[in-house]
Amino acid sequence: MKSDALRGHLDALLLATLDGGALHGYAIIEALQRRSGGALDLPTGTVYPALRRLERAGHVASEWSTVAGRRRRTYRLTGAGQRALSDERAAWREFTVAIEGVLGGGPWPEQA
Amino acid sequence: MAGASVIDSYVGELDGRLRGPAAAKADLLAEARDSLDDAAERHRDHGLSAEEAERRAVEEFGPLTAVVPGYQGELAAAHAATMLRTLMVLIPLTNVVWELNRMFWIGPWPSFPGTPTPAWYKVVSQANGYVPWVITAGAAGSLLVGRLLSRRGVGGMALGRLAAAVAVTCVGFAIVLNLAVITGTAVLDAPRLLMPAPVMAATLLFYVVFFRVGLLAKRCLALSAV
Repeated sequence: MKSDALRGHLDALLLATLDGGALHGYAIIEALQRRSGGALDLPTGTVYPALRRLERAGHVASEWSTVAGRRRRTYRLTGAGQRALSDERAAWREFTVAIEGVLGGGPWPEQA
Repeated sequence: MAGASVIDSYVGELDGRLRGPAAAKADLLAEARDSLDDAAERHRDHGLSAEEAERRAVEEFGPLTAVVPGYQGELAAAHAATMLRTLMVLIPLTNVVWELNRMFWIGPWPSFPGTPTPAWYKVVSQANGYVPWVITAGAAGSLLVGRLLSRRGVGGMALGRLAAAVAVTCVGFAIVLNLAVITGTAVLDAPRLLMPAPVMAATLLFYVVFFRVGLLAKRCLALSAV
């Protein structure tokens, strides 16, 4: 899946990867790749500025910490980020139900 | 860069393409470096040679043309936030310094000799007195608006330009009102402008702060236009 298709959903995807707990940047990228079965193919260098933008927005907080013996910047969801993720999930469900209703189920029967 | 690793060269090029506050830039580059090291380590664990693992890590990180705009946007946003905080703190602080000096060295303003204070002068001087607090509120409000715009996906470059516009407007407004009071005072009672040296110095401090904020706004625009 190319980065153009992901751009509109990147914030929600990043928030979702942090739902289970704090992660450092590369672990977030690995989680995205793992959860998507490797289909999410975007330059990893675009993820870090997006994380910083989410931090500016107050949706995530970050700090430098030592993980597995190395210093890494670790991100966690804030309360506002948790609420934003819930909203994104609700909007996504609504969207997929609507699109599935139109595109799913194969060809439409011929109109009389 | 003779002898530099693939990752060293890439991070060096990224460093060379980015402009902005040194601490924020160092922080972003350290994180990028960590990410590249993590990716290279993963590829080595999967059997690639050290050089090939680094090359793969750099490929995955993305070409500089794709990566630089996002990083530069964050640097512009960081600079913009610092500028707005400077505006928010320095202007009212300078105003307090000026007022304390004025109270100590001059005391309450005397009436103008032989003429009641004109209504227009009262309006201009009162507005001039409120300006520092209006600027403080404007800068604080802009920081809040920046956060809300970030939630709507607005990038750092746009926020930088917006912050520069706010700063220039605030400083411009303050200078115009200050010059209006000075001109009005010169018309009504010119000798009053010859204030004690500490008050003059405090007035000069105002203009130093205005100049400083102006420079910060100029840099903000430059960082937002890369």
